[in-house]
Amino acid sequence: MSKFAEPMTRLIDELKKLPGIGSKTAQRLAFHILRSTDDDAEALAAAVRDVKASLRLCSICNNITDVDPCVYCSSPTRNQRLVCVVEEPTNIAAIERTKHFNGSYHVLHGSISPLHGVGPEQLRIANLMRRVEGGEVDEVIIATNPTVEGEATAVYLSEHIRRPGLKVTRIAMGIPVGSDIEYADEITMLKAMEGRREL
Amino acid sequence: MALKESEAIVLRTYPLREADLLVTLFTRLEGKVRGVARSAKKSRRRFGGALEPLTYVKASYEDRERQELTRLDSCEVLESPLATQVSYPRAVALAHVAELLDELLPDREANDAVFRLALSVLAGLRGTEVWMPVTYFELWITRLMGYLPDLSECITCGRVLNGNRAFFHALADGLMCLDDKRLASSEISAESRTLAAQMFRAPVESFAGAPWPKALGADLRKFLIQTLQRHIEKKLVTAGMLEKISS
Ligand SMILES: [Zn+2]
Ligand SMILES: [Zn+2]
Repeated sequence: MSKFAEPMTRLIDELKKLPGIGSKTAQRLAFHILRSTDDDAEALAAAVRDVKASLRLCSICNNITDVDPCVYCSSPTRNQRLVCVVEEPTNIAAIERTKHFNGSYHVLHGSISPLHGVGPEQLRIANLMRRVEGGEVDEVIIATNPTVEGEATAVYLSEHIRRPGLKVTRIAMGIPVGSDIEYADEITMLKAMEGRREL
Repeated sequence: MALKESEAIVLRTYPLREADLLVTLFTRLEGKVRGVARSAKKSRRRFGGALEPLTYVKASYEDRERQELTRLDSCEVLESPLATQVSYPRAVALAHVAELLDELLPDREANDAVFRLALSVLAGLRGTEVWMPVTYFELWITRLMGYLPDLSECITCGRVLNGNRAFFHALADGLMCLDDKRLASSEISAESRTLAAQMFRAPVESFAGAPWPKALGADLRKFLIQTLQRHIEKKLVTAGMLEKISS
């Protein structure tokens, strides 16, 4: 027997599915919702529904958007011939924060992950291939994570999109700004040396 | 409790709570050990690239009273798979080694032979060659786990198979002669059986350099994977991924 009424148990169970939410937090949230006004509870339910109903993937870059093409792909001031490839939509925000990248994006929605059965055929790259094949792109910057999976994805991508006239680059890996070289691990240091540039 | 220090190979990591990572290590000191790396997900400062799968590390960890999970204190990279280019076939091969070690090794039981095998195969996987080290690893790990039957005789009639055709089946515990083979058996060539015999006599380095296409020893690998999967009673994810690689 559950210690809560059925609708409450159901709400707690649904909340528990969210990342980082355990039983205790789910109960706290559920009771908060129960105590809130009808309007607030309805607004929350509607927001959850709308996010699924109105958001979709940009047909050009796979970013999550409510208008297609997305704001980056439809911007006349951004360089559409420069494409930065990222693993997740949230990675775009990290790059946008630099305020120094004025190209467009392509979102893979994941990376190659053999241990999870994810191979290259599961990556969303068909629309990127079309852009590249159509001669719409001068440079592709591959900004997947500096992990084994991110590297495997980068290497696979570069092998498949490479063609005359297209520049394919990989973001640099290395020592974090503000840290100390002394504390860098062997592989980070090696990558930093590989990615050195001329001054 | 005291801090333990051991060479180790990182097998897998899983996100745990907001900022931590659950790490499975194959330590030289006491075999497979599971531990928590606090704040490893959020701040990479402490562990850097050391927790990437198949990184050879020097790990310090501390067991906690009445807790199954150890606390991973630090990991120093001895060798990273990221030091050389990670092609897709190489990524799958590395994942295959990690999956096999994770599935086959019992918790907290040192196995120095398997540890040495893993290290030498990881070294063999530094370059672009994939099928040779994978074949070598599958063969040896099957033997070291005690799952490899005698490849020289028929399990049904005991006849010597050397010089004769030999067959295997997903539900059979060894090889069979032409007369005793089951329905829907696969054949393992004499060439592949010779290869296995050679691999038992020489270190992995001695097979490096020569071209090794996917077809070479494919029947042997299929037999080994079937044998391993029968013992662990589940399908290996990475075996299917390897199968799909084209060359
Ligand atoms: Zn877009
Ligand atoms: Zn027989």
